[in-house]
Amino acid sequence: MSTSPGSAGPAPDAFPQPRAPAPVGTHQPPALRLARRLLPWPGILTAIAALAIPLALWWGLAAIVMHLRPVAFPTPYDTYLRLSGLLRGQLLNDFTIYRHVADSIQRWALGFALAVGIGVSSGLLLGWSRLLERLSMPTVTVLQLVPGLAWIPVAILLFGVNPRATIFMVGVTALAPIVINTTAGVKGVDEMYLRAARMMGAEDSTLFARVLLPGSLPHLLSGLRVGFANGWRVLVAGEMIVGTGTGLGYSIIQSRWTLDYAAAFVCIAIICIIGLTVERGILLPLERRTVERWGLARSA
Amino acid sequence: MIQLDAVSKLFANAETGQVVQALQDIDLVVEENEFVCLLGPSGCGKSTLLNLVAGFERPTSGRVLFGGEPVRAAGPERGVVFQEPTLFPWLTVEQNIEFGLRNLGVGRLERKEISLRFVSLVGLADFARARPHQLSGGMKQRVQLARVLALDPRALLMDEPFGSLDAQTRDRLQDQLLDIWENHRKTVLFVTHNVEEAVYLADRVAVLAPAPDGITADMPITIPRPRDRYATEMREATMALIAVLADLPCCVLPSRSLGESPVREPSTTMPG
Repeated sequence: MSTSPGSAGPAPDAFPQPRAPAPVGTHQPPALRLARRLLPWPGILTAIAALAIPLALWWGLAAIVMHLRPVAFPTPYDTYLRLSGLLRGQLLNDFTIYRHVADSIQRWALGFALAVGIGVSSGLLLGWSRLLERLSMPTVTVLQLVPGLAWIPVAILLFGVNPRATIFMVGVTALAPIVINTTAGVKGVDEMYLRAARMMGAEDSTLFARVLLPGSLPHLLSGLRVGFANGWRVLVAGEMIVGTGTGLGYSIIQSRWTLDYAAAFVCIAIICIIGLTVERGILLPLERRTVERWGLARSA
Repeated sequence: MIQLDAVSKLFANAETGQVVQALQDIDLVVEENEFVCLLGPSGCGKSTLLNLVAGFERPTSGRVLFGGEPVRAAGPERGVVFQEPTLFPWLTVEQNIEFGLRNLGVGRLERKEISLRFVSLVGLADFARARPHQLSGGMKQRVQLARVLALDPRALLMDEPFGSLDAQTRDRLQDQLLDIWENHRKTVLFVTHNVEEAVYLADRVAVLAPAPDGITADMPITIPRPRDRYATEMREATMALIAVLADLPCCVLPSRSLGESPVREPSTTMPG
């Protein structure tokens, strides 16, 4: 079984967890002990600090830049003001922020859905057949090595300057990790499960749907996580080049002409928030819950 | 019911190219409704023999017949209980039992009813909705038994099913198995390296020696059932078998690595 990212050990937490009590016999400085007593929720405080630090850095950077150069570098406050304006319905490049977000998500979802459909089914086949794997895995590996932006000319040649080009870019960059992880997952399914299934009269189709697919699910989910991140990143870049009038990436690049840098920062913040929410809020918990519910201490 | 004619099995190690003889010229017959224990030291090919009967592997030469027909593939008429629990971790106990029924095309309501019946038969009705990792080793083996019994197989093939359980659990499961066997009347081929277990369970004990020796003893156990584990005649039968085993050559190393854990053979076991 190969080790794919995020499937073997526990992944790092989104937020720092409260520390476990120090083991007996470990020396603790008195100052630290005092701090512990005064601060009953170190976990929450560290989480707040973790958010405050980048904000403070951002603010400092904005101050320095504006001092050195005559540009309006948006501060977190400026960005917040622009955000609340946009949320109240102010237009950005002729459309509301909701339209931009919705269009971006739609393009991403279409591309990702294509990648999942093609990636999971081909991963199942590649994990199943040594021959297919040997024939196709080099292509998949190369696919993974191509930087997302390098697909721009290909996308334009295939689809023209058109949202479909963006969808293609999302799909093609999300595809490789999904295929690779699904393949690894299928190969990791214990042969004894296959024997048991055959003994209980399973046909090939049953084997795929009811043994290999669930058996590779922990790997598959970590593939989806990586694929999501790839696709989401390239979505923004794709919209910058081939987007047509809407989308978060398009809005960011338009700030070059409109000089509405605060709006660009708003878009960047929204991209981060959506990305974090999907990755940490949906995909990672799903992956963990699967591993936990099945009691899968998967051995090599 | 089960018949092996001059069966040999060779394994080729994919990495070293070394060829190992796991079984050589084995003849064995198991009659209908008979309980036969296949006894032998670790690595003598007991599991390989069982895998041939199950249809997981093909003999290199010779014939394996089941009900007069050559065995071509694994199937639900030969229910296998594996040494390690192979319950699907993504299914509940109940769903594990229904897995095979679904393959046989049994309808949803009937599946539910059958799985409930068999999960109760092995005394785990309260755990129908549990997942395998929540069960103890003995409970998992009982579920394995239930899931093959639910398919109403003609034969049970059991590969050291109680080998990794503690003595008390093992005794209890042996009794439970005998109960089920007496009530449901199945042909049983039971692999074990535990002499007491063989004497307690079997109508007949076949002793398998490492290749090239094959089956060196075929001893009927005529002690009437229900048997008392500690009766004198049980001790006598046990001693007789231990004497047979003591004469066997100790296992040669290469076959030890093969006999107990089946070698991965993608060409024969991976379909498609």
